[in-house]
Order: sequence, then structure tokens, then C-alpha cells
Amino acid sequence: MDPTLDPPLPPPPRRLHHRASPTRRHHHHHHHNHNHNHNHHYRLTLTARSRGDDRSSQPSSDPAFFSSDDVPGSGGLENYTGSAAAAAAAAATGASGSLAGSRKRRYRGTWWGEKMMSSGGHQPLGNEGPKRNKRVDFREKRLVDSGVWMGSDDSAAGGFLGSDASWGEEVWGHSHGQGQRATVLGGLRRGIEEEPREHQIARAIVNDCLERGDDSVDLSGGNLRSIPSGLLRPLQHLTKLPAITEPPVTEDGYASLEPFLRLFLAGNALPTLCGELFELDTLRVLSLRNNKLTAIPPAIRRLTMLQEVNLSVNRLRTLPWELLWLIRKGDLKHLTVRPNPLLQIDDGDQDPDEAAVVAEWHVPRELRACVYDGPAPEEAWAPVHVATGPVRRYNAEGVLLPAELQQHQQQPTAMELDATVTADATPQDVDVMPPPAASRVPSLRECALLSLARSPAFDLLHDAELAGYPALMLRLLRDAREVRAAGGRSCSVCHRGFVLARTEWIEWWDCSTYENGLKGPRPSGESLRPLPFRRLGCSWGCVPGAEV
Amino acid sequence: MTTPDQQTEDQDYVTLVSGDGFEFVLARSTACISKTLSMMFDPLSKFSEALTGRCVLENISGEVLEKVCEYLCYNEKNKNQTNVPDMDIPPELCLELLMAADYLDV
Repeated sequence: MDPTLDPPLPPPPRRLHHRASPTRRHHHHHHHNHNHNHNHHYRLTLTARSRGDDRSSQPSSDPAFFSSDDVPGSGGLENYTGSAAAAAAAAATGASGSLAGSRKRRYRGTWWGEKMMSSGGHQPLGNEGPKRNKRVDFREKRLVDSGVWMGSDDSAAGGFLGSDASWGEEVWGHSHGQGQRATVLGGLRRGIEEEPREHQIARAIVNDCLERGDDSVDLSGGNLRSIPSGLLRPLQHLTKLPAITEPPVTEDGYASLEPFLRLFLAGNALPTLCGELFELDTLRVLSLRNNKLTAIPPAIRRLTMLQEVNLSVNRLRTLPWELLWLIRKGDLKHLTVRPNPLLQIDDGDQDPDEAAVVAEWHVPRELRACVYDGPAPEEAWAPVHVATGPVRRYNAEGVLLPAELQQHQQQPTAMELDATVTADATPQDVDVMPPPAASRVPSLRECALLSLARSPAFDLLHDAELAGYPALMLRLLRDAREVRAAGGRSCSVCHRGFVLARTEWIEWWDCSTYENGLKGPRPSGESLRPLPFRRLGCSWGCVPGAEV
Repeated sequence: MTTPDQQTEDQDYVTLVSGDGFEFVLARSTACISKTLSMMFDPLSKFSEALTGRCVLENISGEVLEKVCEYLCYNEKNKNQTNVPDMDIPPELCLELLMAADYLDV
């Protein structure tokens, strides 16, 4: 086979083409363009432009598209098979005769891509069998590529669709079979064990709100001990309805239809919060008053549109650092946290178990009596950093380091108490630490746990499958599961996601202006009432003063 | 016998072999992030691993050991960074990696 026949449009058919259509006079021009033909097939816009620019009145670029029908006596679809045979014969003899047939095939080849044609051309002894197979292959390929289904292609299309469907089912069955079974079983179990009555009521309330477009969801006093899964997620898509029913349009008719989502979970018995709550990123008001919460998950950071939060009458010892982040970001304007058994700064005459030690004070010495003397106006509104507690470090297994190792870090900070308080006291402590401790690279355990905690496959992992694993791993996996259930954590210093905290400390900030809803600036002479915010770091490099 | 040149080369690189026979050559300092490996390769110890610079980890498969080595390099590369990127770990490898991490103490 002549290798020059491989490129898209070989010369011999071209010559015949001109003889067959005498109206085309610019054959030199055609020959000139013919080298660029394959480009035109791919760059259609370019083709259109060059046509306009061309001085010739002829469609210069791709006569190939049309010329197959110009050849006398070669029209009709049924000729295609015959022409394939003819092309095969032509290829076998190595001659460029039988031009009508071979050219037809070439055009089809060119239309769908050079690959098929060149592979056909490389078969010097092509008999009919392989050629026909090629055609079938080719037709299937065309269906897959174009996405267009034609009635005439029913056999191939049927095969394609059928095989595809069964293939999909097979794969689905393989990868999700277990999960599906689990869901089915879960569904059955749920059907048998009736859902608790308070959950049913809560679901009814949520559905009612969704139906009426009511953006104030009141689940308070519902005696909920947990938030059933799937209860809150639909609220994400709550849509308000226009309030107009009769022609006289009142002021209310012009109210915004953007939902001002408010969720009241007050007066329940919730011990923890679920991650689903923190997916409601349009939530504006959240009341968790009078529950049994011992901690607020750091995932509250995701509720960036929160304007009002009520956490009073719970069992909170500390608040998440992320709450302060929301305040300082600017949207959260009303924070109600008292009463709660919040961690108080140790002022000497309290029970040491109940009060926390302070490692570093951030207010001047004369203010340690916790009285605000009202300096700059912006500070009269902003939260004031009062003090920082000692850093507690955890090892890679999430275990608190023994006291003698902690002591090493605590010693200088304890001395800082009586020395002059400078802002950069803590970073110096970091430098004193041994080099590996300052690295911010997570451990391999942490990497694996984080990947697992982010993967939906984790939910399908049953305890029975983990029976053979060592106890330490089971504990780590339980921790990861808790973190996942609470909506994830991110480092309060470098903002990476993490599972096992490596550092932990308390910062006391006075947010009294936010506690009274920004009704007025902090008056001079008012005593500071610092709130404890718990900060977590993802590595030993993430400590106070090491902000990124 | 090894020439001094070869010896220093052996000092710089160690070979980790998986249970199914895959070999990974790493810089000694990179591998010794793992406390277990660093003990094994400690020249002062008389472990055969320390003498040959070659450690066979029977209970770790090639696929997992590849990820472990990737982690060791990732750790080495980012140890002085303040913004450490996340490492990609396919969820199906997580449990085995956790076991390996436990064994190697990384």
C-alpha cells in the first residue's frame, strides 16, 4: 500500500473529482488548500473565516464533504458496503483504481476521524471480513462519540444501550450492593421500630414550614433528645411565598422573599449537635437555649450568616473559638451565653479545679481587676482579649502529653506572669521547643483519619468489620466518627481540616457589647466579663502567637 | 567488600521492601521520620537492617508502602512550611495505612 494514501485525501480521487464536476475550475487552488483540509475539519470557525477571506468564489476549504455525491452512479446508502468491498479489492491490488468506491470510504473515514481510515489503509491484504468488522466497530464508535441515535442504527444502538445498561447495573451492584442492602435493611428496621413520637412531630413541623414557606422554624419544647437525621437538611431549600392574596397591596407585599431562616431548638434535651445543622448555611438565628449541650462543635464556623445565637442554660464550660471568629467577621451581633458553667479565670480564692490558670495576660496590669476604662472608640465595641491559658499538647495518638513534658513549655510562661507582658512572649517559647515539635506536617495517622472522616464510605463501615483491629485504632476511629458527626473541625490557627487536636488552649475575650446585642459601646468603668473560647490546633506548630 | 564511596552511599539511602516484594529506596533522613525505622536503621544498633540498609516489612503491602513512602517524602518536603497542603489518600487505603502508621509510629 502506498503510504501517501494514508493522509486524509489522496490525490487520485481528487483528480477524478475534477473530471467528474467540470464546473469547478479552480482545481489548482483546491490542490493548494487540500493540504490544510484536515485542519478545517477540526477548526470549524477557522474554516468559516477563511472562506470569507478567500478570493475565490468557490468554497475553498472542504469540497471533500460534498464530492462523494458528485460522482455519477455512486449515490445511495446501499452502495457503501459494496464500496467497502471495492476499496478492499483496490487495497489488495495496490492500485488506485475503483476510485468511486475507495473515495466514498475515505470520505466517511475522514468525516469521523483519520484513525479509522489509516488503520484500514494499513491492511494490505484486507478481505471483506475485517472490513465489515471495522464498519460495525466504527458505527458503534460513532454512536458513542456523537450521542446522536438514529432509527436506522437500531441493531448497533440496541446492543450499545443494552450492554451499557447491564454494565452499569453490574458495576453499581458491585460497588454499592452492600450499601444498598444496608439502606434497605435500615428502611425496614425503621418501618418496624416506629420512630419516636417527638421525632415525628418535629418532622411534621419542618414539613409544615417548608410547605407554607415559613422561615421561622420552631422546634422548641419538643422534648428532642437527638436531632434525627434528615430533619434539618430540607430547610436548606426553604422558599418563601409571596404574601399577596388580594388586590390591595400592602407594605407587606414588598417584603423580601429571601428566607430569613430562624431555627428554635430551645427547651429540648439535646446533649450534642449534629453536623446536619451546620449545613444550613443561610441560617440567621439559632436558639439552643435550655438544652444539655456540653460543647458547641467548631463546625458552627460554617454558619457564616448567623446574626443571633442563644446558648444560655446549657452545660457549656467553654465556647468554640469559631464563635468569636463569627463575631469578629461582623455578622454575628447578638450572642447570649449566660448562664452556663463557664470556665472562670483563676483569681486566687476559687477552687483550682473549677478555675483556670492564666498563662498570659493581654490587658495592662492595672486592668487585671477586670475593669474597662474606655480608651479608643472602636475598642469600646470590639471584643477585648483578656488572657490566654496554658497550651496543652497532645501526642500523635491524641493522648495528652504527661505533665513533665507539658511542664517544659509551661515553665517560661508561668514566669511571664510576673515579668512584663509582651505580645511576642509566646512565639519565643515555641523556638525553645525541640525542632520536630514545631513542624506543621500532620502525622500519617492524622492524614489517614482525615481522609476517612471526609469519605462517605466511613458511614458504611460497621463495628463488626473492625473487630480485629487493635484498641488504639478503634479509639482513633471512634474519634474520627465523632468529628465527622459534628461536622468536621478546622485548625484555629492555620485553618486546615483535622481530626486529632495536637494543641488546645483557652483564650478569654470580653464580648459584653455583643452579649447585649450591640445596644451600646462598652461604658467606661464597666468590669470586663471575659468568656472562655477554646482553641484547637492541628499541629504543635499551631500555638498562641503563631498565626498564619 | 564495599568501597568507602559505596559505604557513604549506603549510609544516605535505605531500601524498604513490602511484603509482596516491592522495593522503595528512600533517603535515610526521610525514612527515619518513622521512629520504628529510625531504630531499625540506627548504625549503633546491631540489627541486620542497620548493616544492610534494607528493611523487609512483611505485613505491609506494596500499595500501602507506596503511600507510606509518599507520606515520608511529603513530610520531609513540608517540614518547614507554614501552609502545609493536604495529602491525597484514597479512603479504601485508610484502614491499612492506619495500621502501618501504628507499626511505623509516624
